[in-house]
Amino acid sequence: MHIDALGEISHDPLAKAGALMLVVIAGLAIFAPLLSGYSPHDYTGNIFSPPDRDHPLGTDSMGQDIWARLLYGARTSLLVAGAVALISSSLSVLVGASAALVGGLYERLCMRIIDALISLPTIIVMILVAAYLRPSLPLLILLISLFSWPGGARIIRSQVLSLKQRMHINASRTFGAGKGHIISKHIIPDLSPIICALMMQDARRAVFMEAGLAFLGVSDPTVISWGKMMNQALAFTYLDVWQWWLVPIGLALSATLIGISFLSFSLETALDPRLRREESTEESISVARLA
Amino acid sequence: MTLSIRNLRLSFGKTEILRGIDLDLEMGDCLALVGESGAGKSTLGLSVMGLSRGSASGEICFKGRSLFGISAEEFRELRGAEMAMVFQNVEDALDPVQRIADQIAEAIKVHSSSTRARDASRLAVRHLSNVGLNKDKAGMYPHQLSGGEKQRALIAMALVNDPDLLILDEPTASLDALTKADIIELLRSAIVGRMCMVITHDLSLAASLAERMAVLYAGRIMEMGRTEEILKGPRHPYTRGLIRSYPAMDATKDLQGILGQMVHGLPGCPFHQRCTQRIDICSLEVPKQTEKEGRIIACHRGGIVPLLEIKALSLTLDCYPVLRDLNISLCEGETVALVGESGSGKTSLSKAIMGLYEPDRGAVILEGRRVEKRDSAFYSRVQMIFQNPRESVSHRMNVLNAVIEPLLVQKKGSHEQRLQRAKKVLSMVELPIDDDFLKRYPHQLSGGEVQRVAIARALALGPKLLIADEPTSALDPSVQAKILKLLMNLQDRMGLAILFITHDIALARKISDRMAVMQSGRIVEEGATNQLLSHPSHPYTRRLVDCASGRYDGGNGDIILDRDVAELIAEPGDQSALEKYC
Repeated sequence: MHIDALGEISHDPLAKAGALMLVVIAGLAIFAPLLSGYSPHDYTGNIFSPPDRDHPLGTDSMGQDIWARLLYGARTSLLVAGAVALISSSLSVLVGASAALVGGLYERLCMRIIDALISLPTIIVMILVAAYLRPSLPLLILLISLFSWPGGARIIRSQVLSLKQRMHINASRTFGAGKGHIISKHIIPDLSPIICALMMQDARRAVFMEAGLAFLGVSDPTVISWGKMMNQALAFTYLDVWQWWLVPIGLALSATLIGISFLSFSLETALDPRLRREESTEESISVARLA
Repeated sequence: MTLSIRNLRLSFGKTEILRGIDLDLEMGDCLALVGESGAGKSTLGLSVMGLSRGSASGEICFKGRSLFGISAEEFRELRGAEMAMVFQNVEDALDPVQRIADQIAEAIKVHSSSTRARDASRLAVRHLSNVGLNKDKAGMYPHQLSGGEKQRALIAMALVNDPDLLILDEPTASLDALTKADIIELLRSAIVGRMCMVITHDLSLAASLAERMAVLYAGRIMEMGRTEEILKGPRHPYTRGLIRSYPAMDATKDLQGILGQMVHGLPGCPFHQRCTQRIDICSLEVPKQTEKEGRIIACHRGGIVPLLEIKALSLTLDCYPVLRDLNISLCEGETVALVGESGSGKTSLSKAIMGLYEPDRGAVILEGRRVEKRDSAFYSRVQMIFQNPRESVSHRMNVLNAVIEPLLVQKKGSHEQRLQRAKKVLSMVELPIDDDFLKRYPHQLSGGEVQRVAIARALALGPKLLIADEPTSALDPSVQAKILKLLMNLQDRMGLAILFITHDIALARKISDRMAVMQSGRIVEEGATNQLLSHPSHPYTRRLVDCASGRYDGGNGDIILDRDVAELIAEPGDQSALEKYC
């Protein structure tokens, strides 16, 4: 069955909403220097100043402009999301697909390693590792990737296993095609929507993890992070500052996560026709009528 | 040896019509000369009679006497008395202004001057009554007689002087079936004790008169042997083509012609231009006649080439034996239908041949060489068409990419050449080759079109063997008919051997030369399709045929249950159970 994933989701309002949210967040991150007159590291001198013309979201306990920090925090979040999505999904595809195609001892070995990695308590290990090594942004990205690829590899392996049995791949083998041709011309193209979905899932988890770890204090001190900002804001809940300090950041984080979720949800629906409840019932009704 | 022809050559101007004929006839032999029009059958008959114009060379020896170099006068005495011919065209062979009896009396008088006119007339009337024409008819003019009666008169005329050699040139052409049967009956008694040559393109006539048969093509004998054996198992591609184009009553396969036209005077084997299994030498050297098991064949490749042989193939999938010691073979240009219920291992066999499954034991032999490793050379000889074209053609590939894929895989030619080849195979499967169509995706095509694309893919590498796994089961009957016609045309054109896997006996009947019935991973019965369907010997085959013909009760009122047969088959060694059932 031919599924044009991009075409499908471009008509889905859910996907449109998700994409809009992501575009707004990405726009904020990219045009941060234009949208704010301040550098996120500038000390303005006024602490806890409420929102005004100079500081749309006021200043924090150090006198730094919260709006500027929010904008630059988006950069961190999106950087982590993108990098983890790339690294993690590449690892997933590499290990999952090779395990399915090579088979034998190699496959079993790969799958046991994946089982082991999945069974580790992610957060605790990450905190320990990050605390032991000096936490930096690249290290965080690597750590998050390391813990998110095994799930994806499982999905990819099962997909490749079922793809391997597909008729068009058998047909290609009857032309004498080698593994290289089958992987590059059949398996990767067929996997691409799944890889997309996987990357989005990885990205979503990465944003959440980065924020969470930063909130817990595992973070590069020089990097501006939404999680760290929320942590700082929470220390001043007895003041009214949380209204323009905590809430906007929470909303930005939520918008990012929801945007990615909406997109991946819509993509999943497009890829798996069984999820199309309404249409299928309509169809079966019309079939019943015809009968 | 009473008639022997050695290296007889005859040419009209520059065109050589007979190119070295070798024949021997003993007393009591009847030889049928068959072949399409222009093959030189009649010319051969006429040159034995000394009636052919043109320059001849070689040797014709009749009763120890060379017919070359004897005078016209001597030849005239031989003709009619010792050798006689029944001519093809009954309308022209009789004199329209003489009564039948008079014409025959004349033939008698010519050869025995002592006979008086009255005796000759009496003899003539008796001869005519011998062939079934009474006295009234004997006094009639040719135009008053029917075609069959004229034919009888001609036979009587040929027989009056009791010749030793009788040459019959199309004796039953243009007769209806009943008259033809009468004439055949008459001829059967007429040829007893004589040497006889029957020149015909009617294979059923050859089968009913002659015990030996020679197949002539462009002045050469292509195949010679016992009629029955040749008709049942032709070994020369031309003979097979001839039989396939003859509408016999017991033929089940659709008629197929031989492509191209006969050209006289080609260098090398006269048939090589139309032959689908030709090799380089065929256009250079004339093949020698070789005798094998009583059959003379003139072919550089020793007749129809066996293409695929499978010996004792066994396959186990998940500890379950799917194929058990399976043997099957396929010749060039032949369709073998593999029938059997689903689960009998038909598709597994095809996949095992293609290398998609690795068999436990057994050999796959392609063109005489055992296949050890399936490399690109193997895949360019053997291709497969899958059951569901929508699945076998990737939904991500447009028509052009799909057809180019096999060429790309095998790294054949430049991009331009691949494009040309793709367009060529697409037009072979009768699909458009405009850019709009080439850019379409499978889901934009109809089922028949996608299957054509799949066939074009399989043809792109120029295979000799096509394994078709239920290629039409996903199609409606009218599209199915078109696809099958297409496959048969391709078989005519390229000499494709087709292993056609199906569960539809009625379908298999129309397209296959041979049929193999498969059950539980074994071939339980194999044979010519018409034979197998009219006389199925194995109970499983009988049940399949019965069910396919809508007789669900086995013909004798007992409903055969699947498990009854299954039990019988489960222990093939147990003959008593089989006998009890039968």
